[in-house]
Amino acid sequence: MAFTLREIKVRYKQTILGASWAILQPVALTLIFTIVFGVFLKVKSGTIPYPIFAYSALLPWTFFSTSITFGSLSIVNNGNLISRIYFPREAMPIASMGAALFDFLIASIIFILMMFFYHVKISENILLLAVIIPTIVVFTLGISLILSALNVIFRDIKFIVPLGLQVWLYISPVIYSLNQVPDNIRKFYIINPMAVLLQSFRDVTVAGSAPNIKELFLAIVISISTLIVGYIFFKHKEKIFADVI
Amino acid sequence: MKSTIIFNNVSKSYIKTKGKYGLLTDAIGENMFGFFKQKRRENNVVRALNNISFKLKSGDVLGIIGKNGAGKSTILKLISKITFPDKGSVYADGRIGAFIELGAGLHVELTGRENIYLYGAILGMKKKEIDSKFKEIVDFAEIHRFLDTPIKRFSTGMYSRLGFSVCAFCDTEILLVDEVLAVGDINFQKKCLQKMQSFAKSNKTIVFISHDLNAINKICTRVMLLDHGKIISEGVPSKIIDDYLKKYAVTGLG
Repeated sequence: MAFTLREIKVRYKQTILGASWAILQPVALTLIFTIVFGVFLKVKSGTIPYPIFAYSALLPWTFFSTSITFGSLSIVNNGNLISRIYFPREAMPIASMGAALFDFLIASIIFILMMFFYHVKISENILLLAVIIPTIVVFTLGISLILSALNVIFRDIKFIVPLGLQVWLYISPVIYSLNQVPDNIRKFYIINPMAVLLQSFRDVTVAGSAPNIKELFLAIVISISTLIVGYIFFKHKEKIFADVI
Repeated sequence: MKSTIIFNNVSKSYIKTKGKYGLLTDAIGENMFGFFKQKRRENNVVRALNNISFKLKSGDVLGIIGKNGAGKSTILKLISKITFPDKGSVYADGRIGAFIELGAGLHVELTGRENIYLYGAILGMKKKEIDSKFKEIVDFAEIHRFLDTPIKRFSTGMYSRLGFSVCAFCDTEILLVDEVLAVGDINFQKKCLQKMQSFAKSNKTIVFISHDLNAINKICTRVMLLDHGKIISEGVPSKIIDDYLKKYAVTGLG
């Protein structure tokens, strides 16, 4: 918790725009995506206006990608702490995620405003966010733990993460809808929990429809397994952190 | 009396090159050429500690002396579970306050006040505990005027005073101190030593590393002389300090 506060405080120190960066990142992407994919390429977003269609997925996506970006570096970047002070090591990637969660909450304000602006009808399905958001957190933390430990041993991770996230963005329904994915591919496509979680997030908020419960259940199972594997892996590797850093 | 720290035949080696760069190719190479692995490992290892055993109980103040690279700091890192032994076992009972290096745990962008809370939390203190100790910490560190200054504007001395003060008021059962005296002024050095003495009197365990033999002589109940990861001698401070001076006086001049 103390580390999370530290991350939040330090992140925007000596930046002019401060915490508004939390909003600017997803908003800027939404703008670009709207112009390129909404206007130029005319990606089908159904009855949903493209800007809020994109933002509804970019909001959780930005949380995921920021957590992973900072989380994977967290152990190495705090090397001087790791090699001198004992504290539970997982506090570091958790703090990165905590800070990203804070950004997510700020950026959610814009989302709520957009929902009003586009007169989105809210259905009772929105309550499912209470399942979807924690699942995203669980999955994110699992990946973050694995990558942060790996990055201590192989600094290559630092280069793989940005590339991997870019690929990941395209194999997730951010720009387009999951319904545009052909059925024969969809079987494999939904193994990626983020695909299901982003689509579900969009379904229950702007579309006001129910998510595909079977797919959502699969995503929950994979996410929890990822966290368990990630935690065990992290705990196994943390003993050598101080020696290798 | 119950022991608070036990080292049982502890050995610890560091690998000289591998891991330093942390390349994927290193790991792949090592697996492919596993045949040569053993030999490569042997040549590539620094033995930081070699079969060390000792016990400390509460009230003990152990001083560790020895040349640079003798393994002094490694002992502190093992006690505080920052690193783990290759062989043997390390046991430490009770909360540990470790002041291992200047300013570790402090964040340069944060203010003095924020850092006290952050560092306190890292050391395992609850917010309430820190609140109640806050004034003492600030008084001891003598940084009243700079509480709301980011500590990157602090001087080296202020830095170290802040770090030591938080550790010292953290109320731990074990206190590990590594070369804290090197940077503070005489006045602060005196305060540190007094603080450590009062610590020892309240039945806590202290392990103290210093090149300041006078300080070691003054506050330690036992001293251990390390050389290349081995205990050369151990006992009452005055005797061991004599050993140390004799052992290195000649080579030092040569």
